[in-house]
Amino acid sequence: MAKRLVMSSTLMVGVALMSLSAQAQGGQQRVIPAPKGPTPHLSDGKPDLSGVWRGGGPVQDLAVGLAKGETIPLLPEAEKLMKSRQSKDDPEANCLPTGVPRIAPYPWRILQTPTHVFFLFEGNIHSYRQIFLNQTKHPEDLDPTWYGHSIAHYEGDTLVIDTVGFNDRFWFDFRGHPHTTKLHTIERWTRKDLGTLVNEVTIDDPGAYTRPFKLTFTATLQPRDELMEYICQENNQDVPHIQGPARAQ
Amino acid sequence: MKNKVAILFAAIVLLAIAVPAIAHHAFAAEYDADQPVKLKGKVTKFEWTNPHARFYIDVVDEKGVVSNWNLELASPNVLRRNGWTSKILQIGEEITVEGSRARDGSKMANARVVTLANGQRVFSGLQGEDAPNQPLRQNQ
Repeated sequence: MAKRLVMSSTLMVGVALMSLSAQAQGGQQRVIPAPKGPTPHLSDGKPDLSGVWRGGGPVQDLAVGLAKGETIPLLPEAEKLMKSRQSKDDPEANCLPTGVPRIAPYPWRILQTPTHVFFLFEGNIHSYRQIFLNQTKHPEDLDPTWYGHSIAHYEGDTLVIDTVGFNDRFWFDFRGHPHTTKLHTIERWTRKDLGTLVNEVTIDDPGAYTRPFKLTFTATLQPRDELMEYICQENNQDVPHIQGPARAQ
Repeated sequence: MKNKVAILFAAIVLLAIAVPAIAHHAFAAEYDADQPVKLKGKVTKFEWTNPHARFYIDVVDEKGVVSNWNLELASPNVLRRNGWTSKILQIGEEITVEGSRARDGSKMANARVVTLANGQRVFSGLQGEDAPNQPLRQNQ
């Protein structure tokens, strides 16, 4: 027992030191190591995506999700808009939602039911995405919203979420990558193993980008964590002190 | 056995350090890591609020002039996950703060490390990618 304890302690210290070293190098994804194990499934055979996660979308810079050698195909007017953006105007700094596919740097939970999937966000803002498994078409008269209208189905172990009906107000990241109301996202969420949830997302927005492009982000399970209350609006003093153009850091 | 439990505890504390602590806005757009500040003063107010917990201290300069500084911490949830509670700072307690000053020159800073009256050093957990890396919590 004592030996096992020492061994597991040594392992944990090692893992922690590796994480610290990753932090010191300024790595983009600074998350605790993913727990190991096979992909869990629901009794009907669908993948069980439930749990508290961190990551899975862009925070500071959309481009970190690109495949090697790829670039973000901004239209000139979108690039101009992005360059004009000021960090203080980032909706997230103003306690407004992240939209899609941006993820805030706080834990979030997936809640699955037979008819809906909910993404419950702890932070910034304390809100949720509602994803319909019981609808196969988007309504035709959608009003623009922060999270849009999401319908989804399973393809094997992957949850495929198709979303339209976005407003143009949220930013994709700290850098201010823009979009328009023509935005259409297709997210493919696959729980590769117990602790790893991969989001392969296609951004299709002919109003801001020359062609659809793909990004990949990874969420990590937080097995000992629970969501906590986070009401961003209660004392947000940052905005008047934030200076300069939109930036990743 | 006691030592082994202590090692295990240390490992858990270290694991907690690895939790990412990027704020809801770009750190460097608000604070300047090249303007480090070290302030000593009495706590006048502690706000356990979102998106950031904050505390305020009265700092007396060499001429005896008192100025009140606004010190930003991480969100209460990040602090809580790293061992803080809403009762960790006492009004009137003399503390020392190390952090980075706001770019706009106001009497405001990101508090990275706080040394409590009892000598304990606690780490805020708020850091931008380009802020000096520090453990979130460390017992002296």
